[in-house]
Amino acid sequence: MRGRTLKSMVRLLASTRLALLGIVLLALGALFSYDNPDAPLWLLIAPLFLLALNLTSALFANARIRQNGGLLLFHLALLGVILLVGAGYLMRFDGRVEVTEGSVFSFDDAEPIRRGPLHPFRLNRVHFAQGSFSVDYLGGLNRSITRSQVFVPDANGQRIALVVGDSTPLLLEGYRFYTTPNKGFAPLITWTPDGGLPSSGTLNMPAYPKFEWLQKNRWTPPGGTEILTFELHIKTKYSESADWILDGKSRQTTLTLISGNRNIVLNPGDTTTLPGGQLRFDELRTWMGYDIFYDPSLPWLFYVAILGVFGLAWHYWRNSTSVPFTAAVVPSESRSIV
Amino acid sequence: MLISSNPPELIWIWAGVAVYAVATPLALTGKASSPLREKLLLGLLGLSLVLFALAIEIRWMRIGHGPFINLFEILSSSLFSLGLIYTLAFWRLPLLRPSAVVTLPIMLILGLWLLVVNPVDSHLPPTYDTPWLWAHVITGKVFLGFCLLALGLAGAILLRQSGFTRRFSSIPDDIVLDLLAWRFMGVALVFQSLMLIAGAVWAQDAWGRYWAWDPIETWALLTWLAVAAAQHLRATFRISPWLGAIMILGIFILAFLTFFGVPFISASPHKGAI
Repeated sequence: MRGRTLKSMVRLLASTRLALLGIVLLALGALFSYDNPDAPLWLLIAPLFLLALNLTSALFANARIRQNGGLLLFHLALLGVILLVGAGYLMRFDGRVEVTEGSVFSFDDAEPIRRGPLHPFRLNRVHFAQGSFSVDYLGGLNRSITRSQVFVPDANGQRIALVVGDSTPLLLEGYRFYTTPNKGFAPLITWTPDGGLPSSGTLNMPAYPKFEWLQKNRWTPPGGTEILTFELHIKTKYSESADWILDGKSRQTTLTLISGNRNIVLNPGDTTTLPGGQLRFDELRTWMGYDIFYDPSLPWLFYVAILGVFGLAWHYWRNSTSVPFTAAVVPSESRSIV
Repeated sequence: MLISSNPPELIWIWAGVAVYAVATPLALTGKASSPLREKLLLGLLGLSLVLFALAIEIRWMRIGHGPFINLFEILSSSLFSLGLIYTLAFWRLPLLRPSAVVTLPIMLILGLWLLVVNPVDSHLPPTYDTPWLWAHVITGKVFLGFCLLALGLAGAILLRQSGFTRRFSSIPDDIVLDLLAWRFMGVALVFQSLMLIAGAVWAQDAWGRYWAWDPIETWALLTWLAVAAAQHLRATFRISPWLGAIMILGIFILAFLTFFGVPFISASPHKGAI
C-alpha cells in the first residue's frame, strides 16, 4: 500500500505538466530577477528546486527517458547543472581589492561582496606582489588592452613574473583575480618624524581616468593632528584623438600638499618640512583594482553542460534518422516529438 | 568613438538589400511551383550572400575587427548568416521553397532596418578578443537560422489554414510540415544551448561572472525556456500543427527581440561589455 502511494507520488512529481509549471515559474523568476539585484533569491531557487525534483522523479518514473540514451543523458546533465549551480552558490566568494605597485596582496584588504556559507576560506593562502600596469587606450577614453604585472612565488619560493588582464585572470588557490577599469595612481611618500625613523606608504588616488578631475586624498602623519590634503596634478594629459597608454612611468606629475593656508608643490624626490617632521614625495606609483571570484564548480558545470548538449543532439539525431519527416502522416501516439 | 558617416561598405549593403527587394515580390507572386522562378530565387539569394559578405569583409578590413559590436554590425552579420542557412536549405530541401513567402519578407525587413541604422564604426573591447566570442556568435547565428527555417514552415501552415492555399499546394500536409519544423527547432535548441554555454564561458573570462541577469542573458534564457516549454507541451498534449506553428512564431519573436531588440535599446549587447 505504502509502495503504491510512493509510486503514484513519484509519477505525479515526474509529470511533464509539473515540468511545464517549473519552466513557467523559472521564466517568471528570471523576468523578476532581470536587471534587479534586489529580487528575492527564492524566486529562482523555488522553481529550480521544483524542476530538480521533477527531473529526479522523471528519471525513475519515465520509461521513455530511461530507454532513450540521449534524452537520459540530457536530463541527467540538466539535473547536474542545477545541483552544480547550487553547490557553486554555496561555496562562492565574490570580492574586490586594490593592490598598490610594489606591495603584496593582503587578504585583510579584500572587501567581500558575497561569501557563500560553505566557502572554504583560503584567501589568506594567496600570495602575490603587484608590479606595474599599462592600459592601452584608443583616442579618448576607449579602453583597450590591460597588462598588469604580478609576481607569484613558485614551489621553490622564487618569484615568477606574470602578466594578467582582461580575459586572463590571475589564478591562485582557486581564486580568480580579474583586472578592472578601477585603477589609478598612488604617490609614494616618506614621513620622517623629528628624531624618528622614516616610514613610507602610498596614497591611493581615485580611479583614473574616470576621476581625472578629483585626484585628491587626505592623510594625517603618525602622532599628528592636522589632516593633510594631497592633490595630484598630472601634467601629461591623455589624448582625445590619438592612441595613448596609461601607466605610471609616462605621466609627469606634481603633488600639491595643502597644509593649513600653505600650498606646497612637490616634484618626485622633493622634501618639505612640516610641524613634527619631514615629508618626501618619492615617486609616482600605481594601484590596480581586482575583482575576486571563487567558484570550484565552474569546470564541472562546463563539462556537464556540454554532456547535456551532446545528449540532446544524440536524441534529435536518433529521432530524425529513425522517422523520415517526409512520412506523410505519423500517428500521434507514436510521434517522438521532444 | 570613431565616426564614419558614409562608410565604403554601405554601397554593398544597399546592393544586397536591393536584391532582397527584387527577390521578395518574386517569391510572393507567380505560380506556386515554377522551377524557373525557384532557380531565379536561388540565384538572387546567392547574389545577396556575396554582396553582404563583401560588405562585411570591407568593414572588417577597415576597422580591424568582425561584426560583433553595434546594431549595424549585428544586423549585417545576421543578414549574411540567416541568408546563408536559408539559401543552403532552399537549395537542398525543395519542400522548403514555398516558405520563401514567409522568410524573404522578414529578410527584407531586416535589410531595410539595416539601411536606417547608424553605420558608426565600433571599438572592439579587449574582452572580445577570445575564441569563445566566435563560438558564442556562430552558435547563436545557427540557432536563429534554424528558427527562421522553422518559422518559414510554421508560416506556411498558418497561411494555408487562413485560406492562402494556392501558394502552398505543392508542399505536403501540415502534419509533415509541423514535424519538419519541430526538427528544425530541435537543432535550434542544440545550438542555442551551445550558444548559452559559450557565452557563459566568455562572460566568466571577460567580466568575472558567468551569469549576471543582464538584458541579453535574461532574454536568451527566456527563449531557451520557451523552446523547452514548447517541447514539453508537445510531449504532454496533442498539439495541432496550427498551435505548433503559433508556438514557433512566439519563439521566433522572443529570439528576434533577444538578438535585435536588446542591442536596439542598449549601447552594447552585453552589460559592461564596453
